[in-house]
Amino acid sequence: MERLSSCRLFTVFIAFHVLFVHQSKGLNSEGQCLLDIKSSLGDKFNHLANWNPNDPTPCGWKGVNCTTIDAYTPVVQSLNLSSMNLSGFLSPKIGGLVHLTTLDLSHNGLSRNIPKEIGYCSSLEILNLNDNAFEAQIPKELGRLSCLTTLNIVNNRLSGPLPDEIGNLSSLSQLLAYSNNISGSLPSSLWNLKRLTSFRAGQNLLTGSLPSSIASCESLEYLGLAQNELTGEIPREIGKLNNLRELILWENQLSGLIPEELSNCTSLSTLALYDNKLVGRIPKELGSLMNLTKLYLYRNQLNGTIPKEFGNLSFAEQIDFSENMLTGEIPVELSKIKGLTLLYLFENQLTGVIPVELTSLKNLSKLDLSINFLTGPIPMGFQYLTKLIMFQLFDNSLSGSIPQKLGAYSPLWVLDLSDNQLMGRIPNHLCRNSSLIFLNLGLNKLTGKIPSGITNCKSLVQLLLAGNSLIGSLPSDLCKLVNLSAVELGQNKFSGPIPPEIGNCRSLQRLHLSYNNFTSELPREIGNLSRLAIFNVSSNSLTGRIPPEIFNCRMLQRLDLSRNRFTGRLPAEVGALSQLELLKLSDNNLSGAIPPALGNLLRLTELQMGGNSFNGNIPAELGALSSLQIALNLSYNNLSGAIPSELGNIVLLENLVLNNNHLSGEIPGSFANLSSLLGCNFSYNDLTGPIPSLPRLDNMAVSSFIANNGLCGGPIGGCNPTPSLSLQPDAKDKGTRLGKVVAIVAAVIGGVSLVLIVVILYFMRRPVEIVAPLQEKPTTARVSDIYFSPKEGFTFQDLLEATDNFDESFIVGRGACGTVYKAVLPSGHVIAVKKLASNREGNNNVDNSFRAEILTLGNIRHRNIVKLYGFCNHQGSNLLLYEYMSRGSLGELLHGASCNLDWRTRFLIALGAAQGSYGYIAPEYAYTMKVTEKCDIYSYGVVLLELLTGKTPVQPLDQGGDLVTWVRNYIRNQSLSPGILDAGLNQQDETTVSHMIIVLKIALICTSMSPSERPTMPEVVSMLIESNRRESHFDTSPSHDTS
Amino acid sequence: MNLEKHKATPKGNALHALRRRLSDPTNVLQSWDPTLVNPCTWFHVTCDSTNHVIRLDLGNSNISGTLGPELGQLQHLQYLELYKNNIGGKIPNELGNLKNLVGMDLYGNRFEGEIPKSFAGLKSLRFLRLNNNNLTGSIPRELTALSNLKVLDVSDNDLCGTIPVDGPFAMFSMPSYANNKRLNGPELKGLVPYDFGC
Repeated sequence: MERLSSCRLFTVFIAFHVLFVHQSKGLNSEGQCLLDIKSSLGDKFNHLANWNPNDPTPCGWKGVNCTTIDAYTPVVQSLNLSSMNLSGFLSPKIGGLVHLTTLDLSHNGLSRNIPKEIGYCSSLEILNLNDNAFEAQIPKELGRLSCLTTLNIVNNRLSGPLPDEIGNLSSLSQLLAYSNNISGSLPSSLWNLKRLTSFRAGQNLLTGSLPSSIASCESLEYLGLAQNELTGEIPREIGKLNNLRELILWENQLSGLIPEELSNCTSLSTLALYDNKLVGRIPKELGSLMNLTKLYLYRNQLNGTIPKEFGNLSFAEQIDFSENMLTGEIPVELSKIKGLTLLYLFENQLTGVIPVELTSLKNLSKLDLSINFLTGPIPMGFQYLTKLIMFQLFDNSLSGSIPQKLGAYSPLWVLDLSDNQLMGRIPNHLCRNSSLIFLNLGLNKLTGKIPSGITNCKSLVQLLLAGNSLIGSLPSDLCKLVNLSAVELGQNKFSGPIPPEIGNCRSLQRLHLSYNNFTSELPREIGNLSRLAIFNVSSNSLTGRIPPEIFNCRMLQRLDLSRNRFTGRLPAEVGALSQLELLKLSDNNLSGAIPPALGNLLRLTELQMGGNSFNGNIPAELGALSSLQIALNLSYNNLSGAIPSELGNIVLLENLVLNNNHLSGEIPGSFANLSSLLGCNFSYNDLTGPIPSLPRLDNMAVSSFIANNGLCGGPIGGCNPTPSLSLQPDAKDKGTRLGKVVAIVAAVIGGVSLVLIVVILYFMRRPVEIVAPLQEKPTTARVSDIYFSPKEGFTFQDLLEATDNFDESFIVGRGACGTVYKAVLPSGHVIAVKKLASNREGNNNVDNSFRAEILTLGNIRHRNIVKLYGFCNHQGSNLLLYEYMSRGSLGELLHGASCNLDWRTRFLIALGAAQGSYGYIAPEYAYTMKVTEKCDIYSYGVVLLELLTGKTPVQPLDQGGDLVTWVRNYIRNQSLSPGILDAGLNQQDETTVSHMIIVLKIALICTSMSPSERPTMPEVVSMLIESNRRESHFDTSPSHDTS
Repeated sequence: MNLEKHKATPKGNALHALRRRLSDPTNVLQSWDPTLVNPCTWFHVTCDSTNHVIRLDLGNSNISGTLGPELGQLQHLQYLELYKNNIGGKIPNELGNLKNLVGMDLYGNRFEGEIPKSFAGLKSLRFLRLNNNNLTGSIPRELTALSNLKVLDVSDNDLCGTIPVDGPFAMFSMPSYANNKRLNGPELKGLVPYDFGC
């Protein structure tokens, strides 16, 4: 419109001025348009080779058909380029072909959008753009094509809504738009299309509901909107569409009832409403739809009974009501539907017997009544149905015997009668017509042997007979069935050896023989089963060695040889089973060493080797089993030596069972890494030493550790009173300790406000007395023990009362590892109580961080750290008691919203605090747990940086996570410039700024990574005083000093 | 549009829907036959004695694609092991419906978007490992309601904001959160606001 192509202008010209029809030189204008269109197409098979620019008209070109107007003028009437493997896109020049009545570009690879200029092709009647890769929105200009009868845009990548303008296409009869990404609700104008007979827009992203105005779309015969996101109810007005033949609305979110008015759609042949959220009863009125052939209502929430009126659906061929909540009996009347081929009623709540009359449905080929509450026998008449190919009645309470001629008269494919109460023998004729693929008779009460008719069934793929009382040997004929992929014979009374011929079942993937009486050795021919994935012979009486050949079955995922009488070694070849997820060898008589090659089984989730006679050490290689999760069970063997610390690498492991061996040494400290451990058992070994801090130690029973040689600590207690493991971990325990220390650092950083309380208190307030040092052996703390400075004279009960049993209303702050409460004691004394995170789950990290904080603050008998009054343990929570600072913390002043500390104040805080600030932990402390004077300097440096930058000590992890790293990064990237300073500070005065920079340098020296490079505190004080003397001249006289 | 239907229970449907979303170059899902009545014979699927799916073991299986809402239908699922694959897209909110889930291991994939708040519904969850993905947004505070949670790992993502401190989060240590460029330190409520948002 705004940029009309010359082609378009010219053709408009033609339309009004026929005299100019023939161009003087060469090809006419429509030919030129076509060449332009061709130029945007890829034509790798040269279908358009004869589109010759030297022709006067395009009328002889492939795909082009012309007609004449005014008896002279040839014009392009149709363009059919269907199925030419064209690529590229459709040029807007298409709008120049104004005489076009048919445009068919279907089945190509055209992409980009449908050009809006197509709206100029005002004569178009048929527009087929289907099966391309058109994308973007459907142009609303299509609405101008008032002659259009067919619009086919199926199978593209069109998105956006169906434009309202579609409703202007008053001639439209076919609107086919399925398999796109069309979204939004259906335009209401659509239903005004009186001539529309077929509307199919399934497999899109349509939303909204079907309106009652749908009734005005009176010619509609085919309405297909399956696989969208339609909601709401099916409007009862749909019953006015009396031409409707197919109503396809499956896989939407439709709710409400099925409208009984649908019974007025007397032409209806297919009704597919499955996979919605329809509720209520199935309207019996639908039984009057005499033309109905296919009725699919499955996978909804329909209830009530199956209406007996459905017996009147005399043309019905397929009825599927499965996966609903239908109750009552199967109506006998269904047997009147002579043409019925498929009847699926499975997964409902149907009761009663299977009507004998159903056996008169001679055309029935698929019958599935599974997963109901049906009782009584299987009607014998089913065995005479000649077309029956799928017959499934599993998971009911059917009794009696299986009709013995089943399969004799029909080419049965699938028979599943499992999970019933069927008795008697397996019919011999099931495979008479050599078509049986799937046979499941498991979980019944069948007796006798597997009949020869089954063992010779060449078509059989799955033979599932587990959970019966079948006898006899494993028939060697079975192994001639080359298609057999699954054999499940477990939980029967089969006996005798497993025949060597088993190796011929080359397709076998699953072989379940557990819980039988199979004897003798496993045949080495098992090794020929190259596709075997699941092999279970548990709980038989198999003897001899495990044949190494079995480890040629490289696809094995689950191997269960447990509960037999296997002897000898476990061959190292087991390590070749790289797909193995489960290995059960428990309760045999296996001996020798555990092969280190087991460590190659990187997919193993469960390893059960208990109850054998394995000896030697546990191979350290087992530590590589990174997928091991369910259990590692080596119990009840003769294993000796130390437990390899590498087992601590199996971080997913939930159960570690090593009891009843001769293991010695200590339980490795690395086991503290077994963060997923839910259960363990170390009992009845020769283990010594302390039990490491297992992550879930509190869940472990005492019995898991008993009967060892001096195992102590943990739940059994009794380690001698030297400082416990958790405070002085041994050198092997690095990983654990790092975890703990990180927790400590977190705790301490979390408690920063408290540390700053100390600092500001130092600055603001009177000198404070020195409180007696704390207990130096916090490990002796017991539940509800409380330690105070002896002078204070308040009780634990006082604390509880002062905080109303730690009520929320007393909270004054929260940190990463705890909550701070304000407690006013009876004496009027106000203290802050920091309650560390609950310890009720036996969380050792918190416990350790608590002890560490006590140790840190308690052991440093620095006179300015007296704010810690004591600590105690209450109901699993650790409490730290501090002096309460009513004026808030430095942190609040510095980092809060109203930051109004000027530089002078900050400097004086820094100077005043220069003799002590603890709590900010230096890195070497984090790694060595040694608190030195140098740590104090580091901590002090962090406070200086806070004062200078106004930033919190906790920084985003990508910027180093802490303020020191942040400052270092800043200086590295931008040099030591004033930009690093707190913007809240007045930086107008040059001498102030240079003073701040000097203090920043002091802070950097203090926070030097190497302790030896840090100054001592007296040196810091003198540097600060010197800096002040040279630059700022603040009064540092003792008015702010505290000592 | 195929009107014929396969016979499969919802459990099988859920897993089959999963299969359709996944690309499986090494055919670990080859045995996932939608025509079987239940998925208990499918490889890498474990059922309990009543044929409910309780484990899905597809860790380290070289699969790619996305997860869909259908997985939320596996009401009895206890372990969802999809670690170390190449699965992308968002973690479906519907996974929060898995009330019996004990362990969820989605680590080592390409998951993006946020950790669903709906995970607060995983009442049985003990182990939640989402590390080494491309997850964004903050750690939902709703997760503090997971009283059984013992192990959390969200390291190596692109999470932001602060770290919750309530409920089970009181005991998780910093390595659980490492390598999230925009993740700040622990949440400090009260006196000093350390939560810089995200």
